[in-house]
Amino acid sequence: MDSCPIRLAACGCITALGDAAQTHAALLRGERALEPKAVYGDEGGDPVPLALMPGRSLDETRPPSWMPYIRRLMSACPPGPWGGRRHPVFVTSSNFGVGNLYAFRRKGGLSHLDTGTPQACVAFIRRELGWGENITIASHACVSANIGLVLATRQVESGIADQALVFSFDFLSPFVAGGFHALKILNSEYPAPYQARETGSIGLGDGAAYAVLRKEGQGWIIAGQTLHNDMHHFTAFPPDGAGFAACIEPLVRLAGGRRIWIKGHGTGTLDAGRLEAEAFQRAFPTSPLVGWKGSLGHTLGSNGLVELAVAVEALRTGCIPGTVGSAAPAFSQNVALGPVNDPSFDGVLCASNAFGGAHAALLLCHA
Amino acid sequence: MPDPLNARIKTMIVQTLRLEDVDPTSIRDEDPLIGSGLAIDSIDALELVVVLEKEYGIKIKSSEESMQALSSVSALVAFIRARADPARLPPL
Repeated sequence: MDSCPIRLAACGCITALGDAAQTHAALLRGERALEPKAVYGDEGGDPVPLALMPGRSLDETRPPSWMPYIRRLMSACPPGPWGGRRHPVFVTSSNFGVGNLYAFRRKGGLSHLDTGTPQACVAFIRRELGWGENITIASHACVSANIGLVLATRQVESGIADQALVFSFDFLSPFVAGGFHALKILNSEYPAPYQARETGSIGLGDGAAYAVLRKEGQGWIIAGQTLHNDMHHFTAFPPDGAGFAACIEPLVRLAGGRRIWIKGHGTGTLDAGRLEAEAFQRAFPTSPLVGWKGSLGHTLGSNGLVELAVAVEALRTGCIPGTVGSAAPAFSQNVALGPVNDPSFDGVLCASNAFGGAHAALLLCHA
Repeated sequence: MPDPLNARIKTMIVQTLRLEDVDPTSIRDEDPLIGSGLAIDSIDALELVVVLEKEYGIKIKSSEESMQALSSVSALVAFIRARADPARLPPL
């Protein structure tokens, strides 16, 4: 666990619903970005819920179809000598350019390989955005962005960096949609996070986000971050929810008397959703729990940063979007199905989980 | 008379999961397949589902449905009998 006085000086995201403010507003209205799309793109397959950027196809193009969205996102990022010696960039993703690699394997076209590996993909983005070479690439399934935030925090906290940029991006492809479909957890049904029902399903979404971390100045305080691995199984958590509890526990102390709400991971799978909801109910019995993947889909390695940017909008406005796409009965009483309008909260705890038993959480508070 | 699909499924489980020390006839019809002495986990279950879908042309839509189908050999045989094209199955 890291406990530090690091500030979230700026952050933003782009989802199928727009930028952070637009996404926040759409979630408050209960809009669902997910739509049924053929799981293998132009090769067909079962319809599954995907939230793609407007106008973007699941099938990757050359140059990659996601770059304009990244450019749009990063046009709002505070300028700086990013990638310079004291201004490191931490790039995270669980997909990188795998859509181009898949397109190359299926249809050919050598230029797909310009972004076909993580290193080539990040080098491409670096050139496009004019960053320097001080870039760290990190990937750990669906807690990738959380790891980027921890690494950036440590560099700023230790004085190695004046400020740090964390950038995360995940854009869908038939490769990743097909993989989750083969695992039987991406079905034709829409996800309903934390809803007690007979069949679970996730949805998947495009997403990218950034965060600027500094020690000084304005911004939200990152009161603490935790990473934990329960070492139980590739695809399952311990049935007693011990991994969730272990990840949350240090933040219970740090939250102290603060009044916080919880932005959970909540993909729409049943076992993990129940364990997570119950763990938060035990640790923070009076804090409402919401999840947004029933609308945005799971933005995979970037979800921790994409949803953090939306959570900041919710903190700023005092309007917390509810668990879009879900209905009663929920797994536990703390699940907020509808929006919560309350400007008196002191902070938010944002959680993410991943294959391989990984858990991550971040506590963000008013300065 | 026992359903001949029953023995075929037991052999398929042993071969697919490479359970070299397991005699297919030792698998009891009503024993839970997952979490039992066979030590089948969710990854093994997925392997079985892939083979079942190819072999019998059935479709298993969700992880919950696969867990239900794989709850025991008897349940799996009933599931396949209900879903598969009879032409692909041994006659009763």
